[in-house]
Amino acid sequence: MRINKLNIKISNIVILIAAVSFVLVAPRITAGYFMMVVNMGLIFAIAAFGVCVMLGIGGQLSFATVSFMGFGAYFVANLTSGRMGIIMGSIPVIILMIIATTVVAFSIGLVLFKLKSAYFTFATIGLVQVSWSFYLSYVPLFGGPDGISRIATFDIFGFRAEDFHQWFYILVVFVLIVVFLVERIKCTQLGRSLAAIRDNEIAAQTLGINIYMTKVIAFTIAGVLAAFAGALYAMHSQFVSADMFTFERTTTYIIMAMLGGVNNTKGVLVGSMLVTLLPEWLRGMQQYLQLIFGVSVILLMVFMPMGLAGLVTSVGKRLKRKLHVNKKLATSTGMEAKR
Amino acid sequence: MSFGMFYHRKDNENYLVFIVWDDTVDISLFISLSVNGFAMGMIYALIAMGLILLIRAIGVLNFAQGDLLMFGAFISSALILDLELPLYAMVPVALISFALIGVIFMFSVYWPLRDASYPVAHIISTMGASIALREIATLIWGSIPRSMPPLMRDSETGRAAVLRIADINLQWQFVLTIIVGAVLIILVFILFEKLYAGRMMQAAAQDKYAAELLGIPTILTTAATYIIVVILASVGGYMVSPIFMVSNTLGVLQLRAFAGVVIGGFGNIKGAIIGSLFVGVVESFGSLHFSQYRDAIVFTVLIVVLLFRPQGFFGEKVADKA
Amino acid sequence: MKPILRLDMVSKRFGGVITADKVSFSVKPGEIHGLIGPNGAGKSTIMNLISGIYLLDGGNVYLNEEDITNIPSYLRARKGIGRTFQTPRFLQRSNIRDNLLLGADLANQFGFLKSYFGKKVSNFENEVAGFMNLLDFTFEWDADITALTYGQLKQLEIIRSLLSHPKVILIDEPAAGLNNKEIDNIMELINVVAKKHGIGVLLIEHSMDMIMNICEQIEVLNFGKLIASGTPVEVSSNEAVIEAYLGRDLDA
Repeated sequence: MRINKLNIKISNIVILIAAVSFVLVAPRITAGYFMMVVNMGLIFAIAAFGVCVMLGIGGQLSFATVSFMGFGAYFVANLTSGRMGIIMGSIPVIILMIIATTVVAFSIGLVLFKLKSAYFTFATIGLVQVSWSFYLSYVPLFGGPDGISRIATFDIFGFRAEDFHQWFYILVVFVLIVVFLVERIKCTQLGRSLAAIRDNEIAAQTLGINIYMTKVIAFTIAGVLAAFAGALYAMHSQFVSADMFTFERTTTYIIMAMLGGVNNTKGVLVGSMLVTLLPEWLRGMQQYLQLIFGVSVILLMVFMPMGLAGLVTSVGKRLKRKLHVNKKLATSTGMEAKR
Repeated sequence: MSFGMFYHRKDNENYLVFIVWDDTVDISLFISLSVNGFAMGMIYALIAMGLILLIRAIGVLNFAQGDLLMFGAFISSALILDLELPLYAMVPVALISFALIGVIFMFSVYWPLRDASYPVAHIISTMGASIALREIATLIWGSIPRSMPPLMRDSETGRAAVLRIADINLQWQFVLTIIVGAVLIILVFILFEKLYAGRMMQAAAQDKYAAELLGIPTILTTAATYIIVVILASVGGYMVSPIFMVSNTLGVLQLRAFAGVVIGGFGNIKGAIIGSLFVGVVESFGSLHFSQYRDAIVFTVLIVVLLFRPQGFFGEKVADKA
Repeated sequence: MKPILRLDMVSKRFGGVITADKVSFSVKPGEIHGLIGPNGAGKSTIMNLISGIYLLDGGNVYLNEEDITNIPSYLRARKGIGRTFQTPRFLQRSNIRDNLLLGADLANQFGFLKSYFGKKVSNFENEVAGFMNLLDFTFEWDADITALTYGQLKQLEIIRSLLSHPKVILIDEPAAGLNNKEIDNIMELINVVAKKHGIGVLLIEHSMDMIMNICEQIEVLNFGKLIASGTPVEVSSNEAVIEAYLGRDLDA
């Protein structure tokens, strides 16, 4: 047991050091454009965390991420750009957005989860298409193909985020908060219930888990996370339009989550950064980029279906086994005496 | 235009009845829209048949199906526009190319994962394949959409040939699409219902292990399934290319096919075909008044059908496994 | 004493096959009640019907004289029906602690919010340790569940169910796959469960050793029908039962 804890501690410390150095170093060495891309990676990570909850912990494949991102984005856009005659402050509008999304996502979840898992997935595809269609065409609420611009940037107690560097720090804080919140789920009844639904549904039933409601709750949480990411996107880019919320985009978030290790938020954060940053670093190979990406996804599924987090865990386990075997050889006589 | 929907319960079964009333549509427009709808429905049906075959025979949900159609369209365009092959030469060459692509696709996307324990891994892998296929097409043929000549051209005007019945103008391309689609559907049915090869494939699909014990070469049956699936999708791509132009975005048509598969009945070929035709018709009539919201209409219908009859029109109620 | 579990004319058919045919019996609190019969007699079906995984085609099920026939299975679990399975059903990707906590979750029924905001599962580790004293193996809390052997998992599943403080436990073939020492431990465990905690036990078993030794009442099923009911002595001398299958196992 001690060896076990030691391993986990080491990997946590490594992650902490890497994260802190990244946060300290990144803003100094990157120019405005690159900073924006990094910020995008952080924003998309929050949406991918929603996939973590629904798919990683709960085992249900939902494509609804972009629908809710759009909801959050347009909600904030309408209320902070003056379009509707109101300009709200950032914190109030975010709180209002979270409440609205909770209601909407919960209601949609109640309806969708009456369907069995494969049908549910198809229904979420339908949801994405319907929402995208409206985001693209319904001008009064969504600005049509031109989208909505002049969205106010993040503003808290008079401090406004004026450039991408300031946004970076704000986003880091938000990402950390969300990571903490999502990781906490895994240690609570909700997380255990979802894992039971994912891994052994019949056991879940006989253990008193209300499968339907638990799934709806997870869907709501995933929706709120996606909407939050959408809201941040809107405030960061100060512009939103429907091409961010297509079916292709939603598959990207799922891929980010799978790359990271679908139920591990730290891995997903890395995955999101990789997926967002690599195209920029490999600018020179622009043409082959998507091809490499597509092939990499296939290879990822073949060789590393548990993602980066899975890779780390399995390496850790192999190390632990080697250490444990050595310990056993050393103390075998001691153990027999105890028995 | 008036639209009504009401719910009716009879003999323990739920029915959802749609009524659409439109004064602005006269008979020729109605027939024209129907033919258009059926033609697009046929394309979706070709995609959908491939989807169902892969779901039932291999157990995978293929999110690259639309891109296979796109690739088929590009290959056809290359054969006709770049190599300028006459039709009788183009067809066999195209079919062989489609078969090759089917085999390559199977070995690269499905085969390495065939024993995977997470079904999601398969789905994600096909998503990767979808992206890769799109890029390969762009790399080979560029990103500018190409226009394909319709199958039948009017000798006088040089434009798409039109069939005149009474007062109604129908584009020959649509009519031919329906005919070609129907022929392929019949061929597939003959293969699976009548020929021994088809029964071998079904056996391998239901129980790979048992089939191998009976001497059925499952790798061949799997490859054969993929070949058929890719041919169906690619022919669809060829038939749709004069209507839509050949571009790397043709893949989105698969979403309609998904809707068709679910509406018609999940896991059922007959249902998938009828569901896809239904989707094509709904889309066609929907675009008359709500062309911007075409997607919204089609997929709202999907969601409504899922809610009231999750097994689709022709599916059987799936009992819960204990 | 009021029965804690009562079946009244319970029936179930799958297509043309009748797997349960008007089965009626009851289990008292603290009683160890056996359910035996040849393979395919319908024993597991009865368990699935009681825990709610299958729905009844006829008859009623009563828990503490409350009619639970139409209640979904997760509510039945919350009302106090515990269950183990022929092949233990654990979450393969979780560690032992989380797997066992599922049982405690059921006892506490906090709801997700309270659990999220830190309400600790009271006395959980001590309770488990108390039960583990009866058994012969130890484990590390953070170890993967896959580290345990089949026999250990079967014993652990009973403990998981005990953690939920059930009123009645349905135990499905606990002895299958266990060695003699483990079988002794499990019998001891079941005794404690019933006598010390007053939980009604319904036990499916093929091992006549166990059945004859610890059961106070036995129901015998064959082809979905109840063909005999009584004490171990009565049942073992019952003609119909011997004819059905008991004959093979006379050397108990």
